[in-house]
Amino acid sequence: MDVLDLARTQFAVTGSLHFLFVVLTLGLAPLVAIMQTVWTVRGNPVHERMTRFWGQIYVINYALGIVTGLVMEFQFGLNWSGLSHYAGDVFGAPLAIETLGAFFLESTFLGLWIFGWHRLPRGLHLACIWIVTLTAYASAFWIMVANSFLQNPAGTVDRGGHLELVDFGALLTNPMLTMALPHVIGAALLTGGSVVMGASAYNLFRRTAEQEFFTKSLRLGVAVAAVGVAVTVAFGFAQFGPVGQFQPGKFDDKPLAGAGLGFMILIGELLQFVIVLFLLPVIRWLPRWRWAHPIVMLVTPLPFLAAVLGWLAREAGRQPWLIHGKLTVADAMSPGLTSGMVTASLIAFTAVLGLLAVVDYVLIGRVVRRGPATVALGAGPAPEPERAAALSL
Amino acid sequence: MDILWFGVLAVLLLGYFALEGSGIGLGMLLPVLGRDQEGRDRVVAAMAPFVLANEVWLVAVAGVLFGAYPRAEGEVLFGLYPLVVSLLVSWIVRDAGLWFRRRLDGRAWRAGWDGAICLGSCGLAFSWGAALVASANGMSITPLGLAGGAAVAAALAFHGWTFASWRLPGRVTGASRGTGALLVSACAAAAPAAALLAGAAPWLLERTAPADTLTVLNLMILPFAPLMVAGQVWVWRTFGPGRAPERIPSFF
Repeated sequence: MDVLDLARTQFAVTGSLHFLFVVLTLGLAPLVAIMQTVWTVRGNPVHERMTRFWGQIYVINYALGIVTGLVMEFQFGLNWSGLSHYAGDVFGAPLAIETLGAFFLESTFLGLWIFGWHRLPRGLHLACIWIVTLTAYASAFWIMVANSFLQNPAGTVDRGGHLELVDFGALLTNPMLTMALPHVIGAALLTGGSVVMGASAYNLFRRTAEQEFFTKSLRLGVAVAAVGVAVTVAFGFAQFGPVGQFQPGKFDDKPLAGAGLGFMILIGELLQFVIVLFLLPVIRWLPRWRWAHPIVMLVTPLPFLAAVLGWLAREAGRQPWLIHGKLTVADAMSPGLTSGMVTASLIAFTAVLGLLAVVDYVLIGRVVRRGPATVALGAGPAPEPERAAALSL
Repeated sequence: MDILWFGVLAVLLLGYFALEGSGIGLGMLLPVLGRDQEGRDRVVAAMAPFVLANEVWLVAVAGVLFGAYPRAEGEVLFGLYPLVVSLLVSWIVRDAGLWFRRRLDGRAWRAGWDGAICLGSCGLAFSWGAALVASANGMSITPLGLAGGAAVAAALAFHGWTFASWRLPGRVTGASRGTGALLVSACAAAAPAAALLAGAAPWLLERTAPADTLTVLNLMILPFAPLMVAGQVWVWRTFGPGRAPERIPSFF
C-alpha cells in the first residue's frame, strides 16, 4: 500500500470503529432519558432500575465513543491538512460548532449525570440526561453538515485556490444532508432498540428472575426498533434522488461502495421484514414466546453491520474526491506525509482502539448477563460504618 | 472578532491545563499517593467527577483551531505528528483506565488499569511538554523536548498533589490546601502554555479565518456560552470538598 492507501485505511478503520459506538450512543440516550422521565413522574422502582441498567450499558459504550472520536478529530490535521488548507474556512465551522456548542455540553452534563446520582435534586439530574441526549443529536447534526459538505459543497465558492463560505443557509439545507440525517437518526434508533430487545430476549430466554423488567424492556426495544427501521429504510431510498443529482455514478465501477450499498439494503429490508411484519404485531405475546427469543437475539448485530456498510457506501462512493468536484483525496493528503508516519500511527491506533473495543463489548456483554441486580451506575450509598456497627450490637 | 477568537482559544487552552492538569498530575502520582488498592480508589474517586468536564476543554481547543484557525490547524498538528500521535494514544490509554478499572471486580484487573492511568498520564504530560517546546521552535522536534516534558510533568504533578490536598484535605497527601493554593498550582500548570501562546499570538492571528466564517461561529456558539459556563460551575459546586459524601461508590 502506498501512503495514500494507508492514510485512507486509517480513516476508514477509526471512522468505522467510532460509528459502531456512536450509533448505539445515539440510540440508547433517548431511551434512557425516557425511562428516567417515566421514573421521575410515576415513581415506579422498575423504571429506576431500567434507567440504571440500560444507562450502565450506555455509558460503557460511551467510553469507546469518546476515545475513537478523539482520533477522528485530530486525524484531519495529521493526515489531511490539505483539507483545512483548501476548505478550512468552510469545513472547520461545523466541526468547531460541534465541539463547542454540542460536545462540550454533552461531556460536562454526562459527568454530572454519571456522578450526580443521589447528589443532585431529581429534577435537575433528569435535566442532565436530557441535555446529554439533545447535545448528542446536535453533534450528529453538525457532523452530518460537515460530511454533506464533502458530498456536495453547497453555499461555497472557489476564490484564489481557497473555498469560501458565501451562504451558510445553503450548507444547512444541503440536499445531501436533509435526506441523510433522518436516515442516520433512524439507524441509531434501530440500533438502540435492537440492543434493548436483543439483551431482553436473552434474559427472558434464560428465564432469569427479572421477568417484569425484561418484558417491559423487550416491548420498548421492539417498538423503538420498528420506528427506527421504518425511518431508516424510507430515508435510505429517499437519498437516491439527491445522490443521482449531485453524484451520478456514485456506485458505478466502485466495488466497495456498490457492495456496501447492496448488502446494507439487503440487511435493511430483512430487518424491516422481521421487526415490522413479525415482531411488532405480536409485541404483546412476544415476551412469553420463548421459541422466538433466539430470532430476536440473532438480528441484534445486524444494525451495526448495516451502519458500517452504509458509511462505506457513502464515503467510498465519493472517491476520488474528498470534496466532490473540488478537491481530490490525493491532493488533500498532508504534504510531506510518509508511509512510515502513517504506518506507525495506523498500527498504534488500530491496536489500542481495536483491543479496547473488544474489551468494551465483553464488558457490555457481562452487564447484560449479570442483569439489573449488580449495576454500579447510580448505586445507593453504602451504610455508614458506625450505624452498621450499632445495628449489629 | 480576531481578538475575541484568540481570547476563546487562549481561555480554552489555559483552562485545559488549569483544570485537566490536576487529573493528569494525579494520574502520574497514582502509585505514589495510593500505595494500596483502597488508596488508589480514593485518589481516582477524588478526581473522577471532574474528568469528563475537564478533558473536553482540549477537544474544544482542537475545534476552535479548526474553525477559527484552519490554516494553523494543519500546520501545527502535522508539524508535531509523532507527538500528537503519542498524546492521543496516551489520552486513550488513560481514559480507558478510568472507565474500565471498576467494571470487573478482580484486584489484578483494577491494578492493571490503574497502571494504564499512570502510564497514560505520564505519556500525556511528556507529549505536552515536548509539543510545547517543539511549537516554540517552529515545529522542530529536538532532544530539548525531553526537558520540556520533564518540566510540564513536574508542574502537573504539583497541581495534582495540590488538588488532592484541596479535595481530600489531610487524607491523601497528608497536607491540606485551600482554594488559594489550588489557584496558584493551576497557574503553574497553565504557565508553559501561556508563554507559548504569548509568543505565537502574531503567527496565529495572521491565520485567522475570514470574517464571514467567524460571524457564523459567533452566531452558533456564543449563545451556548452561558450554559457551558453554568455546567462547569455546577460541576465544581457539586463535587467540591465536603459537598460530596464518599459513602456513594464512585463510578470510576
